[in-house]
Amino acid sequence: MNVHDKYKPLTWWEKTYLPAIISGVLLTFGHFRRNMVNHIKKAIGMKPKVSGAVTFQYPEVRRPFWPRLRTLHRLVRREDGSPRCVGCMMCETVCPAHCIYIVAEERPENQIEKQPRIFDIDLGKCIFCGYCVEACPEDAIRMDTGIVEISAYTRNDMMIRRDQLLSLEPKKEYYTERPDLEGKPVL
Amino acid sequence: MADFIVGAVEYLSKFIFFIIAVLVISPVLTWVERKQSAVMQDRIGANRAEILGLRMLGLFHALADSLKLFTKEYFVPKGADRLIFHLAPCISIFFAVMGFAVIPHADTLIISGQPVEMQIVNLNIGLLYFFAVLGMAVYGVVLGAWASNNNYALLGGLRASAQMISYEVSIGISLVGIILVYQSVDLMEITRAQGDLLFGFLPKWGIFLQPLAFFIFMAAGIAETKRIPFDAPEGESEIVGYFIEYSGMGFGMYFLTDFLETILIACLTVTFFLGGWQAPFIDGWILQTFSDSTFLGIFQLNNFILTIVQFLAFVFKVCLVIFMMMTIRWTLPRFRYDQIMNLGWKMLLPLSLFNIVVTAIIVYFIG
Amino acid sequence: MPTITIDGKELTVEKGKTIIQAADEAGIDIPRYCYHPGLSIVGQCRICLVEVEKMPKLQVACYTPVMDGMVVHTQSERARKGRKDVLEFLLVNHPIDCPVCDQAGECFLQDYYMKFGLYDSKMLEDKNKKSKAVPIGKHIVLDSERCILCTRCIRFCDEVSKTNELGIFHRGDHAELLPYPGKTVDNPYSVNVVDICPVGALTEKDFRFRTRVWYLDETNSVCTGCSTGCNIEVHTNKKREYKNEGRRVTRLKPRFNKDVNEYWICDEGRYSFTYVDAADRLGVVMKRVKGELQESTWAEVMPEVLTALQSAKENNKRIAVLGSPKMTNEDLFALKKFASQTLGVSQMPVTVLPKEKPFSDDFLIREDKNPNTKGAGYLGYDTDHKATRKLLDDCASGGVELLIIFHHDLEAGFETELVKSALSGAKTVVFVGSNANTTSARATYILPSCTYVEKEGTFTNFAGRVQKINRAIEPLGDSLPEWTIIRNLSRKIGKALAYFEAEDVFKDLTKNTAAFSGMSYSAIGDGGLVAEENGKLKQGDAKAAAQKTETATA
Repeated sequence: MNVHDKYKPLTWWEKTYLPAIISGVLLTFGHFRRNMVNHIKKAIGMKPKVSGAVTFQYPEVRRPFWPRLRTLHRLVRREDGSPRCVGCMMCETVCPAHCIYIVAEERPENQIEKQPRIFDIDLGKCIFCGYCVEACPEDAIRMDTGIVEISAYTRNDMMIRRDQLLSLEPKKEYYTERPDLEGKPVL
Repeated sequence: MADFIVGAVEYLSKFIFFIIAVLVISPVLTWVERKQSAVMQDRIGANRAEILGLRMLGLFHALADSLKLFTKEYFVPKGADRLIFHLAPCISIFFAVMGFAVIPHADTLIISGQPVEMQIVNLNIGLLYFFAVLGMAVYGVVLGAWASNNNYALLGGLRASAQMISYEVSIGISLVGIILVYQSVDLMEITRAQGDLLFGFLPKWGIFLQPLAFFIFMAAGIAETKRIPFDAPEGESEIVGYFIEYSGMGFGMYFLTDFLETILIACLTVTFFLGGWQAPFIDGWILQTFSDSTFLGIFQLNNFILTIVQFLAFVFKVCLVIFMMMTIRWTLPRFRYDQIMNLGWKMLLPLSLFNIVVTAIIVYFIG
Repeated sequence: MPTITIDGKELTVEKGKTIIQAADEAGIDIPRYCYHPGLSIVGQCRICLVEVEKMPKLQVACYTPVMDGMVVHTQSERARKGRKDVLEFLLVNHPIDCPVCDQAGECFLQDYYMKFGLYDSKMLEDKNKKSKAVPIGKHIVLDSERCILCTRCIRFCDEVSKTNELGIFHRGDHAELLPYPGKTVDNPYSVNVVDICPVGALTEKDFRFRTRVWYLDETNSVCTGCSTGCNIEVHTNKKREYKNEGRRVTRLKPRFNKDVNEYWICDEGRYSFTYVDAADRLGVVMKRVKGELQESTWAEVMPEVLTALQSAKENNKRIAVLGSPKMTNEDLFALKKFASQTLGVSQMPVTVLPKEKPFSDDFLIREDKNPNTKGAGYLGYDTDHKATRKLLDDCASGGVELLIIFHHDLEAGFETELVKSALSGAKTVVFVGSNANTTSARATYILPSCTYVEKEGTFTNFAGRVQKINRAIEPLGDSLPEWTIIRNLSRKIGKALAYFEAEDVFKDLTKNTAAFSGMSYSAIGDGGLVAEENGKLKQGDAKAAAQKTETATA
């Protein structure tokens, strides 16, 4: 098939754009009618079969996260509360956005030797690719906090520090067990 | 002297009523637009602004928007022509408001035996006045673009002026058919002329007598408002437009102009093609049913009720046209610039000329 | 001369050489841990197993001498299998703590594991625990768990430094590398054991956890610690500036040069780079205002220095210049040319000997702690300490109007009284240098200059070998190479020097100085060329130089 067949010259009638406009307006008006009826039904106490809108009322109602979703990072702690991270800088190396800043230090315990003194992530630069999680040989960095609202007034505040990262917990309740788009909204 | 005072009071009250109506309706229109588009797109739409927990389906967003625009910094770019920069949005909104002066809202109301025209100014050349005002609107755009000292704004202004001038031609010529049919350029007269019935059942509206002109006028009118699908001069998030340098109320005025023009075009469409304030079939019934006794001391009952019904009919028709325009706005993608020009010069202009010829022949032989 | 075949490549090898040496010459890579060309051969690690035809068992390439007609396969299935098995044994007790190990990235275990490791361990038993992170010397940390007992470090201490500090203790899989009781590895060449350690058992204290090796950039250079001129690689930290506490130069590593330092470098030279980012580093132009040194700019100070030079010249007052053997040949040449042509200075001393005689030995550490004293001599400077004393005496007696000093800390070599009176005797003292010292504190103007890692140039070592240094990092602050400062001065006064790069200076230098004639940067290359006072290159070097120039131009 000739690729140019897709772009057949318009006929005179089509050139007025009227047929396209009419069919388009019919479609959108159809949606308008259906949704409006459902909205009104709901407003007067009848229960419509489908809702007038497919959206979630976000801050109050959260759409459940897929288990694979990458949210804000956290650093995993050992049982004594110290970071599991050994400062190998693999995440820093693999990071395509160069947003991880690690400076290592001596760890008092001899068998592990090394830990991060500075572990900053510049969330203003981070692209949430999850490579750091993939690269970590110690499973010390994870992206399962369920935090997706990340904002700050200054660029410096976009920097998340080692101790903040260590204090974060995984939020299992935000995630759905079944990766199912039609899953029920959770609060 | 007394006549002068009565006249002044009449004009002033009409004017104040009209200004308030327009300035209230325009922000509300932003709400309507948001909600309508939301419902069309299976969404809920803006509903977050609240006062004391009251959300009113998001109506307060209009209030919040206006507050925001009023309190924002009014920024003037370096190197801008300050006088013209400040003046341009005012010019823009001024001519949009001026257009409403000749729109008839209802038939003559009789107060204390005195006839009062439900029209701010009863010009016998209303149609020409409308053309003049429409022609001036482009100045606000071009001056604002030029005074911004920004190349992108200037290019946007040039696109806007090219588009507006192109489509004014089609608007003008499409209305020549109306003039031929109704034999008048006075909008009140044109509206009155649409009160008759054709073949005894069809109102003698412009849309039935001049269907082609109706489509041309609608298309060109939407293009005149510079809204989707004709928003090549300024495409919100995609195209840098002529008011890129405006912030705060400067931007607000351009924004308001858009909506005012939408209402204006809707009013004119109704006036020319949808019978204006005419409420067919029930006006006679009202006049027969109600007596012509005095009402509230100064009104004549049947005339008063009829005026209200006519006014409501007018508002209803305008709302319907606005609804249609917004449906189109939220349905169609943007035309490319060459498509806009092609449509204007190669489709609408020949069609409107063809319309004149046919109308003239028919009027010559029948009328 | 036996002829052998390695991987189908026929080679004629000197008799007595081993297979691995023959392979190295032919550019065939055979894995090795214990074999090091600078040390004796022990055949300890067995990773270099190769298959030799007509020999029933796999042979260690490092210890099998070549014989005529030998056919060696380094990549055959059996050889690979053998190496894989050896590697499995070596890793039985290895902790695999690569994430915390500083060697990661330049570790032979990692490299060979990626090539032919057994990816799934068969071991069920627990690994042996040994001591970790034990400091065994001033600069060295030992991790016994990571050690593969190749004994390279032991042989280094026995054969090169001849201090015999290290040995292997215990037996079987408890065998452990340790210093002898009561000893620490503190010989003047101790850190070389870190360089030659193929794994992460021996690491450097100074480099420990600073950064990762793959962040480092390498630049070939020459050590400026003494007049030996050991070839080095400068490892700089440019990619992650926030690491390393602002130190741009992370470490120095020795670079092989068979005529100078072979594979080694002394500890003193290895840590001689610290002044590059030291706190006393001069990064801004300064001038004295009302007795206080204040920060200024080149644009402000240069005209003032020029005016001082001009007025001293016009009033027929004496201008004195004290060069420094820490400057490159280019700097010294430009200075000499400017001083003699424009300023009319004839006597130019450079040497300031320290009061105490510094440590030296007959291997790499020399008494002269300056990299370019020989070059200064070739360029016509007076390298006698007494000449400097005479100059200072002149200054003290008020005979000198303007004194320009490069780099020197005069109090290190002369009595404080003499220095004070000399520096106050001259009306204007211009100090050009990279680091602040007692002399710069008394100067009228301080012009900051680059250190050797920030500029290009050549040094002439004690034996007359001209070697090239390269720019590894950008100059700090306002600092400029000395020849640039002199060039900028010459543009406004007297005959302008038309130099734009260090190479331009060197071209001029080779034309005008007999000892350097015939040299060029491309001919010097990474190995260096020997300059002779009679103006003739050594026969072999000249040939090599000609060849190099040819290839460079081709």
